[in-house]
Amino acid sequence: MKSRQKKPKLSERPMFETVTSVLYPLLFGAVIFVLWETELLHRMIGTTESILPTPSHIADIIANNPSKLFGNLMMTMLPTLIGLALGSLLGYGVAVLAAMFGRWGAGGLTIVSCFNAIPIVALAPVFNNLIKTVTSDITIRGLTAKVLVIIVMCMSSMSINAYRGLTQLQPFGEDLMATYGADRKTVFLMLRLPNSLPYIFTALKVSLPLSVISSLVSEYFIDTVEGSQSRPGLGRMIRSNILNAQYATAWAYITFACALGVALYIVLMLISKRVLKNRGK
Amino acid sequence: MTDEYIIDINHASKVFNNQKKEVTALSDVSLRIRKGEFISLLGPSGCGKTTLLRMIADLIKPSSGSVTVDGQTPREARLARKYGMVFQSPVLYEWRTIIRNVELPLEIIKLGREERRECAMKMLELVGLRDFADHYPSQLSGGMQQRVGIARALALNPQILLMDEPFSALDEFTREKLHEDLLSIWRRTNKTIVFVTHNISESVYLSDRVCVLSPHPGRLSAVVDVDLPRPRTAEMRSSPELASLVERVRGSFEGI
Repeated sequence: MKSRQKKPKLSERPMFETVTSVLYPLLFGAVIFVLWETELLHRMIGTTESILPTPSHIADIIANNPSKLFGNLMMTMLPTLIGLALGSLLGYGVAVLAAMFGRWGAGGLTIVSCFNAIPIVALAPVFNNLIKTVTSDITIRGLTAKVLVIIVMCMSSMSINAYRGLTQLQPFGEDLMATYGADRKTVFLMLRLPNSLPYIFTALKVSLPLSVISSLVSEYFIDTVEGSQSRPGLGRMIRSNILNAQYATAWAYITFACALGVALYIVLMLISKRVLKNRGK
Repeated sequence: MTDEYIIDINHASKVFNNQKKEVTALSDVSLRIRKGEFISLLGPSGCGKTTLLRMIADLIKPSSGSVTVDGQTPREARLARKYGMVFQSPVLYEWRTIIRNVELPLEIIKLGREERRECAMKMLELVGLRDFADHYPSQLSGGMQQRVGIARALALNPQILLMDEPFSALDEFTREKLHEDLLSIWRRTNKTIVFVTHNISESVYLSDRVCVLSPHPGRLSAVVDVDLPRPRTAEMRSSPELASLVERVRGSFEGI
């Protein structure tokens, strides 16, 4: 019989870390789930099923209203993605301008970063009113207001991060380009632009969750028509169902809002991993 | 080697203005470098050896005096890509594969894809890294990365190779290996090499002439001819001839 190799200690095996980092949170989640479903949790925190509906109750509501839930999901996701894309593009453009103009550019960026301090979401009704003259279509107005809020939200994080990516080059990186007589355009395309790529993802990792939240919250403030055909978005539906004491329905929308945020973030992480896979640090 | 001069430094000085204080980095240096010569600029930190090299490369301008590179101003020579430069760090772009890092200068001069690849492959062959063409910089050791830097500097086939402490970050064993590689490349390509270092025996072992620079202010205190036979071999590293030259060079520093 072959002699068996001595097994390494469990904690020293490479798989151990991944197992514990996935398994423990899952176990914790499962425990909470069981407590919640059996309403033991309700007794522990002193609440009732009507205020905190059980997971099966929420699942029931989702199963019975798929078109309404997915319709509202789209109305939140669409402006989130459009706003994120436009805001990030604008922010990158600002960063490029700032990088081109040296000290003036850096000063201009400080002003842009002040946008971070303004509660932009509160401007949603202002944006909503601003475009009242442009269109009377309440759906388009709502979408545009959301997109505008998200654009402003995303711009500063992208411009600040991208500026770093465009200007913080490795030592001698620019000198190398100079020794080959490269012009500014070549330096930008071959050095600054690729150098800024990881910084773009750093910005997106911050601004994507921010965009989802902005979209949800700005829905609180926009004009909308009430009615069963109306699709104002997940955030608005959470709010109106809570106002009407329809907690289980509100929780169904909360579940969708969470799923949206997590799903978009996972997609972003996958793209980032793929794009940056060969960069060692 | 001929007596034709390719780099002519004529009473060059450099004064930096740092917070209203004037610092003389380099004071009145005159030096003529022969075509095909391997010459070292040797000195401690603050002696202006890198400043002098960067003046030749047109990365900084002299405050007074002049520099001529192959009959042109440094700026003209730089724009005509008359030299290749190797830096203290490999300066590889981490998002490019090894071969595409070597192709970088060829891309800048807008050479076609096929030609680029072929030329870069030849350069990688020269530094013995052909098998690593499709790796990324992070997958290579420090010594290998610096060899890629040398391959890239040679890609446009310049007559002059400027090297700024290229091996100072490497361990002793890797450095000695790269000395042999560099000397063999120099023999095969007939480049003029200007090599900045703070390592006395390195400068003596590699060079035809050692320019000794002293600090505060940076100035050229001596030029020592190295009459060791070529090709240099590993045994010479411990030879008494080399040791006595090292002593002579050591003796010519002033005010340290």
